[in-house]
Amino acid sequence: MSLHTREYVASVIRSIVMIFVALVCLIPLYMIVVNTFKDSAGMSQNPFGLPSRISFDNYVYAFENLPIVRSTINTVIVTGVAVFLQVLIGSLGAYGIIQKNSRFTAAIGTFLMLSFIIPGQALLIPQYQMESAAGLTDSLLGLIVIYLASATFCYFLIVGYMRGLPKELFEAARLDGASPFRIYWQIVLPLCRPILATVVVFETMWTWNDFVTPKIYISSNENQTLVLQVYNAIGQFTTNWPLFMTITVLALVPVFFFFVLCQKWIVSGLVSGSVKG
Amino acid sequence: MENLNSFGFLLPVLLVFGVIVIIPFLQSLVYSLTDFGGYDFSTAKWVGLDNYRQIFHDKTLLSGLGFTLLYTLATTMLITAVALPLAVVLNRKFFGRNFVRSAFFFLSVPSMVVLGVVWKYILSPLDSGALNMALRAMGLEGMPWLSNVNLAQGCVIFIAVWCQVGWHATLYLAYLQAIPNDLYEQAAVDGANRRQQFFNITLPQMVPAMGVSVFMLLTGGIKVYDLPFALTGGGPGTATLTVTQSIIQTGISSGRYGLGSALGVVFFLCCCLLVVLQQVVTKAIERRLS
Repeated sequence: MSLHTREYVASVIRSIVMIFVALVCLIPLYMIVVNTFKDSAGMSQNPFGLPSRISFDNYVYAFENLPIVRSTINTVIVTGVAVFLQVLIGSLGAYGIIQKNSRFTAAIGTFLMLSFIIPGQALLIPQYQMESAAGLTDSLLGLIVIYLASATFCYFLIVGYMRGLPKELFEAARLDGASPFRIYWQIVLPLCRPILATVVVFETMWTWNDFVTPKIYISSNENQTLVLQVYNAIGQFTTNWPLFMTITVLALVPVFFFFVLCQKWIVSGLVSGSVKG
Repeated sequence: MENLNSFGFLLPVLLVFGVIVIIPFLQSLVYSLTDFGGYDFSTAKWVGLDNYRQIFHDKTLLSGLGFTLLYTLATTMLITAVALPLAVVLNRKFFGRNFVRSAFFFLSVPSMVVLGVVWKYILSPLDSGALNMALRAMGLEGMPWLSNVNLAQGCVIFIAVWCQVGWHATLYLAYLQAIPNDLYEQAAVDGANRRQQFFNITLPQMVPAMGVSVFMLLTGGIKVYDLPFALTGGGPGTATLTVTQSIIQTGISSGRYGLGSALGVVFFLCCCLLVVLQQVVTKAIERRLS
């Protein structure tokens, strides 16, 4: 065989093997979707097969009986506000650090490093107390406050990238009389777009999917997030798996679209950040 | 003056970090030395290291600590071992490549709780369990997936690997694409085969990516709660109990704040060890490869 044919055969084999493996990995997701069109009996007879007839009864039931729209709106509000604040606070801090290399900024940088070795579990109890004292339990604001802790993570990702920006740009803007805040807002932030995109995508996925925080803090139906609602649905409909799968699909649809839209920014910023920084 | 200037920008992050992380952490340290029950701290008694002694005599709490560490180390190693070769394959040309890339990545998109519950259905040992049903259809015996200690632990780790490997492969892939092509051309001219190219070019170039990926796996792994909680509820017995679940149960639900806080502090020390270990290993690898 010539080298060219060998390459070709290798790529065909690669194709077959990889597509097969990917399809096998997707089976659980396929099962979720396909079973939403069946009833309980249909699902237990044949969980893998296509439905004998497509019925949207589960979707109709879910929308009529569960506050799905409400919990979607809650999740959008919490995720949107929390991620915006995390990235804002993180990038402000990063800019504060790179302005000057002094012992003072180095000390603060080291202090913030503590966030990597303090596990969230060690904070659960006092945080819970703090929220109850402030009357923030069972509220969306309470969730947002807890999520703000991720601002230090954003700070670390952003600061690595910012260090790679050309300092001359800031100097020039300063000589032109721009205030530090204006330099941050109009020069530094736009230049940091790749890492900001990655951080936003990352934090959005994380906050949207978080389960521990709403599980601990949210007790009322009006304030639950989507993930909490999916979890609560198991207790409510233990025997009705198709209905559970339906709620799961409804919870996954927004994330799926977000993923399709943002696919290219998911990790790109991490790479450019570390190559430069 | 200039320090004051940067301080203004640093103030929000310091405030958030101080109020939401540092102060609660110090409170945890203090609570861990008392029998605080959650109502009125002024009536709490100083008990010294009693809570810590209790942790080391309490099989339930210790097993939560053990499984969390096992989970963290096992998922970190397995995911790294699978994601790196996967990324190398996904970087080659073949028909359907974009579909395969998206498929693997998409597994990391849904929440772990949701995936845990779906797998609970698939792995159910009852007749309704989809996997056992499929096994029986093929003439094989069903297995008690979630009710056997080792199998349950294995299942939790397997599912964690299954759903995260795509994300980490995507990360590696992004770094792979940043390796300049002339390195490979040069090596091919020098007569290096694929294997030699992988070990002498790809792997050393991947060290920074591994640093990022392993770090995220370790810090994410020690926080684990959702997946075992949804899949097994911590069982059978305490086989898949996590530290987070123990702290929520002993601390917040049954009001033993002192004991729960002590568990948090012990866990903090484990994390410190893990971070030091990671740093040492990364440095050693960097020295060997570059």
